[in-house]
Amino acid sequence: MITRRALLANGAKVAVGTVYYGTLASFLTGCGSSDDDDSKETPIIKVLAGGLMVVNPVICVGCRRCEIACSWSHGTSAVSPSTARIKVDKNLNFGPLGVQANYVEQRGEQGDRTIVPSTCRQCDVCMTVCPEKAIYINETTGARIVDESLCVGCGYCADKCPQQVITIDKITRKSLKCDLCEGNPNCAQVCPTGAIKFYTWESAVAAVEQHEKYLTLI
Amino acid sequence: MSSKFGGWAGYILRVNLTTSKISKETTEKYHDYIGGMGIGYKVLWDNHVDGIKATDEENRLVISAGPLSGSGAICSARTTITSRNPVIRGHLITDGHFGGHFSPELKFAGYDAIIIEGKSPTPVWLKILDDKVTIEPADSLWGLGIFDTFAAISKMMGQQAQVAAIGPAGENLVAQSTFQTQGGHSAGGHGSVLGSKKFKGIGIIGTGRVEIAESTTNEQLRALDDHILGIIGANNQGVVPHDPQSWAEFNAGISRWRGGPGVTWGAADEPVMLEETPWDDHQKVGMRTSMAEMYFGREEANKIFKRPGGCHSCPIRCFCELKNPKMKTEYNLPTEYITNTCMGFLDPWYSMGKPGNGEKKTDIMTIGGYYMDNLAIWSAYGQLSHIMREFTKRSFWEVLLPAEEFAAINWEQYANLDAHFMQDYYTRIGLAKSYNGSNYFGRFLGTGLHNFINDEGELYNIQDVLDDVESPRMAGLTFALESDAEENLLGKTYSVFLDEGVHVFNRSMVGGLHHASEAAGQVGALLATVFNRDPQCHSHINLINCGLPYAKIAEVAESMWGENAFDPVKHYKAMNVAKAKFAKWCLVKNVLHDSLTVCNWMFPLLVSPDVNKNYLGDSSIESQMFSLVTGIETSEQELDDKAERVLQLHRALSVLQMKEPDQRNNHDALCEWVYDMDPDKIFGEEGTIKMDRADIQIGLDLFYAEMGWDNATGVPTRATLEKFNLGFAADKLEGLGLLPA
Repeated sequence: MITRRALLANGAKVAVGTVYYGTLASFLTGCGSSDDDDSKETPIIKVLAGGLMVVNPVICVGCRRCEIACSWSHGTSAVSPSTARIKVDKNLNFGPLGVQANYVEQRGEQGDRTIVPSTCRQCDVCMTVCPEKAIYINETTGARIVDESLCVGCGYCADKCPQQVITIDKITRKSLKCDLCEGNPNCAQVCPTGAIKFYTWESAVAAVEQHEKYLTLI
Repeated sequence: MSSKFGGWAGYILRVNLTTSKISKETTEKYHDYIGGMGIGYKVLWDNHVDGIKATDEENRLVISAGPLSGSGAICSARTTITSRNPVIRGHLITDGHFGGHFSPELKFAGYDAIIIEGKSPTPVWLKILDDKVTIEPADSLWGLGIFDTFAAISKMMGQQAQVAAIGPAGENLVAQSTFQTQGGHSAGGHGSVLGSKKFKGIGIIGTGRVEIAESTTNEQLRALDDHILGIIGANNQGVVPHDPQSWAEFNAGISRWRGGPGVTWGAADEPVMLEETPWDDHQKVGMRTSMAEMYFGREEANKIFKRPGGCHSCPIRCFCELKNPKMKTEYNLPTEYITNTCMGFLDPWYSMGKPGNGEKKTDIMTIGGYYMDNLAIWSAYGQLSHIMREFTKRSFWEVLLPAEEFAAINWEQYANLDAHFMQDYYTRIGLAKSYNGSNYFGRFLGTGLHNFINDEGELYNIQDVLDDVESPRMAGLTFALESDAEENLLGKTYSVFLDEGVHVFNRSMVGGLHHASEAAGQVGALLATVFNRDPQCHSHINLINCGLPYAKIAEVAESMWGENAFDPVKHYKAMNVAKAKFAKWCLVKNVLHDSLTVCNWMFPLLVSPDVNKNYLGDSSIESQMFSLVTGIETSEQELDDKAERVLQLHRALSVLQMKEPDQRNNHDALCEWVYDMDPDKIFGEEGTIKMDRADIQIGLDLFYAEMGWDNATGVPTRATLEKFNLGFAADKLEGLGLLPA
């Protein structure tokens, strides 16, 4: 269960040099608002203009154009659900938790027809576990980016990713992950229902909470 | 990358079930045939064996993708299945197709096609994990319905597997059976071919990639994608909305652009109430089609429609993902969900007499759709269902079936439009001889109409036929409805060639009506002559049903093929060269799509919703896609020529398989009703779609001329075959005395 505080904290905690208007206490607890001291606000931490991609499973229609656009805009443009940094393929038919005995009751095209693509939450895990410190934050977009010059393709990030959206490229042996396309995400551009959108840390909470509901067994 | 080109994976798998040998061949020798259908027909030509049945060991079946499949090009995820077809007289070759996500996965695994040959002694399935390809025992899968088969194979391989399989119908060697992939996608006519090989299905996981040509950039791919989005409409290229929307100059009832105010995805977890879907809003393209209301009516659709769905890479989403709780609560099905886009819903509806919108129709279509797909039954574009409806209407079953069997069928349910009827009905068809009890009914409906009629289309005693009696008696059916008097048929011996109601269109092939004379006069009629089953061609539909005013459509048709290429429906004029050119163009584009693979239910895009473009589209999209993905700069004409090569080869192969030099009279003949319907009207009079025999013969003259086929026989000439580098086909036909002098 993602809390507003956790999301915001994640965005702010590791981004030194951000600005947050409010008291430190309210920031850390997620309670109270910046309206409390309108006339006496002092900048403490600046919030990055960053965020994450989240899919609304209610209106995802399973076309996988997001995967396609992601493929086209990276590397040699070769198309592959393996190298795409958004994962639809693995959840498409039976939902995020694999083939259950009562598959007709679960998610996916063979179940209740809900498709639950997995997107990068731009969290800290991959950054934290990388033994080469090859993952850093893009100051402009807030995306966690792989520095290919440092990446050795060990696969630890892919293994530990909570969303399982990282792959190691079979040919280049580099970690492939969502980089928010330098601020103009290709997946969102091509989605025919607007199911996938970019959310700022603030606005993402409701979308992530909704997505989370689809990650459990029915 | 195994090839210097983008697009093709580079390899074709050949799986021999007799020897259990699996080998790989290069795709390069098929590049002139593009891929998909082209690979299918070239393999079938190369491996031709005379006079065999579709279910004989020597028959091969090809499952093929094209260079575009999996590339992400819009609407590029079709798969073509090519083999002999037991529903067709002579078991001639046909191509079936399905969409979904199968051909992209085949490409990601590293293959352009799979050739299945031989016969396994025990049930098997093919497991493809990139370069690890194995034949696996399918004893635990044999007998499973389609949905459980998908789950079982996915459980064994991994949840991301794409699976294609036959159901109990194919296993029971029912001729009218399908080969299906997940998502409600089914290819018709070849289920029993695989059943005879004891081949249950294929599971694929592909972790590789479809290469895009090195010279092609993301900007170019996206620019073409945006260009297509600027001209694409809704399903069947409807380019105006069905109901008025503020941004649209026109609207039309024929258009499938249904998404707009009033349409609700009511079965969604949070109902989605659609707003207007402006043509230039790229984030609303997927909402345009919302096709359930076309089949169920708005009131029912708004209750049961959860979301649209469809194939990989397609923004149009023509499939309906439906939720009807009564499937579980009332009809004891394991699920309350069913997915389909057309015949899966329409077949049950046609079978039950085409009831009006309402709960009964909804139940019939959803419950019927479930049984059809789970058993994996093929109706041959409705032929099975039309026979069911018309024979019931005519009280023929009481004559045709043994008294006990007739009494065992719950006709009361049928009369009450009770969807419970669907269970026994489809089970009889799907299980055939395995059905517990006398089942001439199901076996007749599932075996292919041609087996039960004489040269005049009159029915034999179906029990005699099914009991293999050498000289079956005639059934003795007559036209006995009051309405038959209007067609001057009352009292005559019943013939399916005379009865418009069963919709047999091509007399020679006993092929079904599918966008023929009722859609586009002689153009539609000519399309029905070439393939060995219903034509499955929508090239013409994607223009003539686009919803623009007739004058605009006629203008586009004239600019493409000449004056009077397209007459208003039900007010046809005499045959002319423009119509012959239109017909040829439709077929070439259809074959092109099934080879690339691209969806022929959307393409070609001759028109667009863009008033700034004067509603014009772009017919060269396919060649632009091909050039960008493969890196081989190819013009529209050059690509069409490759497609025409495949079409010419198809014609030559039909001639070869039939050993028939006279295609005009023995392959391309149309049913009597096509000409004789509406006896109080003459051809060309307003209000009738009837054709004229002499006019259609002229149509064949002009069409053969366009195709480079011999005027008398309709067989490709040597000159034509050589023009397409098919001299080897000319040699073969000549050696057998089948080539025109």
